Amino acid sequence: MAGAAQTLETTYRTNGQTVQSAFESVREVLQNSSAVIQRGNKELAYGTVMSANGVILTKASEVAEGEGLTVTIGTQVYKNPALLAVDKTWDVALLKIEATGLVPVKLATDLPDPERGTWVVANGASSRLKRRPQVGIIAANAREILPAGGVVLGITFKEKEEKKLVVEEVRGGSGAEAAGIKPGDVIVAAGGQDVTDHESLAKLFENRHAGEEMEIAVEREGKKITMQVKLAARMDLFPEAEEDKSRNDMMSGNFSSRRSNFPRVIQHDIIANASTIGGPLLDLDGRCLGMNIARANRCETFAIPAGDLKSLADRLMTQAQVK
Amino acid sequence: MAIVCLEYTVFHSMMAFRRAALPGLLTALLLSPAMAQGKRSYINDKKAPENRHDLDVIQQQVKDSLPAARRATICIDLGDGSGSGVIVSPEGLILTAAHVTGGVGKEFTVIFEDGKKVKAESLGLNSSVDCAMARITEPGTYPFVEIDRDDSAKLGDWVFALGHSGGFDKERGVVSRIGRLVQVKDSTIQSDCSLIGGDSGGPLFDLSGHLIGIHSRVGARTPENMHVPVREFVKNWDKMQKEEFVGDGPFAKKPEKGKGFLGLGTKERAGGGLDVDKVGRESPAEKAGLKPGDILLKMDGTELKSKGQFQDLLKEKAPTDKVALELLRNGKPETLTLRLGER
Repeated sequence: MAGAAQTLETTYRTNGQTVQSAFESVREVLQNSSAVIQRGNKELAYGTVMSANGVILTKASEVAEGEGLTVTIGTQVYKNPALLAVDKTWDVALLKIEATGLVPVKLATDLPDPERGTWVVANGASSRLKRRPQVGIIAANAREILPAGGVVLGITFKEKEEKKLVVEEVRGGSGAEAAGIKPGDVIVAAGGQDVTDHESLAKLFENRHAGEEMEIAVEREGKKITMQVKLAARMDLFPEAEEDKSRNDMMSGNFSSRRSNFPRVIQHDIIANASTIGGPLLDLDGRCLGMNIARANRCETFAIPAGDLKSLADRLMTQAQVK
Repeated sequence: MAIVCLEYTVFHSMMAFRRAALPGLLTALLLSPAMAQGKRSYINDKKAPENRHDLDVIQQQVKDSLPAARRATICIDLGDGSGSGVIVSPEGLILTAAHVTGGVGKEFTVIFEDGKKVKAESLGLNSSVDCAMARITEPGTYPFVEIDRDDSAKLGDWVFALGHSGGFDKERGVVSRIGRLVQVKDSTIQSDCSLIGGDSGGPLFDLSGHLIGIHSRVGARTPENMHVPVREFVKNWDKMQKEEFVGDGPFAKKPEKGKGFLGLGTKERAGGGLDVDKVGRESPAEKAGLKPGDILLKMDGTELKSKGQFQDLLKEKAPTDKVALELLRNGKPETLTLRLGER
């Protein structure tokens, strides 16, 4: 290898056009089953075609309320899809377009989790007429991704009170609010353990999941009241408290704003960005191994596994009353 | 081009870099992929895969090589950050990056992919090309990989990268990435396997699972991922094994002469030698077992005559330098070897 620098032409690189052309049969699946979701000229996300009559799943946090969208499938543009249901746990939205004869993805629900080294193909770029593939491999174990920043009750404490956890504010929509915690309450126990300070309380939240319930005891007007409080991801209740960008984040380009707190993902190394998430993840046979749900950082991209995607799609279609 | 090293530190100072690795199973009869498979794949002689068969071949070779490669890939836990490394002998010799170990004689913890932890210490390094060696200090038989001693990797070859990206994560395991060698220079090879902090020091493999490089740094764009070729390790092998700090490069800071720290208080004694009257708590002297009452006779073979002369000898030493002290304890001669700390 010694000598002057030698450089490989772009077209022969892992995601160069010549290499990508070996994946042409898989690209054709993307052409018909990966939807391009735009608002005006701006590409927001991709989508996964789930039914012949126009059910598309996509990444909810990238399409907001779903107003003014267009969906491109094949070369056909569909205007103003209806956003009929959202699943916050998975950050997935169901869009419905008026269509017939679409080609839904073939979910690989009969296969075990794909092992490391398996080729995967996803929608990497797109034009009005053509989807381009982006290729990579399965990179890690399928697993749950705990919420970054941990889980919270949804309350803030009076800072001046020392050695006492006095509730200052209760966030709207939080588990604390639903359970009836009020400003002025003093938190005295959590999960059966007495607590008097932030640190010991924070410790009790480690490795807890969003959606889990925790027994919380408060003192109010001299009485002790015990209640079950549903935990939520910190980022959902306190979106203003943005995580500091780590050094690794700074080298990771345009990653997804929601990139943690998923019940289960498969991981691959396709170089994606926030707006190329939401489309299908395919194997060499064109079968759908899952749906891309987050660009986590420079080397990690997450997808909802096929089995979980199937149950999620069924649930959302029931909720949206579409078949 | 902005260059960022890949060591991951929670609280990093400017351009400090560290972290990433993998665990392995302790299997006695561990066939290295090198032995298990043939050599260079035909696929590397094609400009690009042309069809499904070519893609299947790449996929199968990666899958076949992964288990042994994963077992030998480790996380190097430095306490304030982590890097990766790879084991290249059954006794536990480790190759990693110089900016991960940061120096000679540093102690750290090795974590295998299954979570098993063992103690290790750094050996030598070359700070100009970012290569370093270390060894597991607990006796055992460890999973290891063969290195590409023939230096057979070529531009365009298919490769895969492993590492503990962002630090150790048992649920996730080691992270694998596919790519090709996209640039080849004397002391650096570049691939399109995406690397991140924590991958530093981790291994780059050819399709048959031979080690061809160690992750070093990245450029601003995703396809710019730099590795130190195994050739540089071979070149520096003996010096690294002898715990030498080679080079004046940017990847590790050479310990400064005169800053070595022993942690002893002595008094001159009639008839030569020095009486030890104080041993600093947690000092290198205490850790090596020196005690008040010991009589120092020689340092590195030179007879000790006065406090001033002893200090002059120490001034020639730098932190992490090894020093041999000959002494009398309860009338019996002993020799203690220790590594100086930093003043």
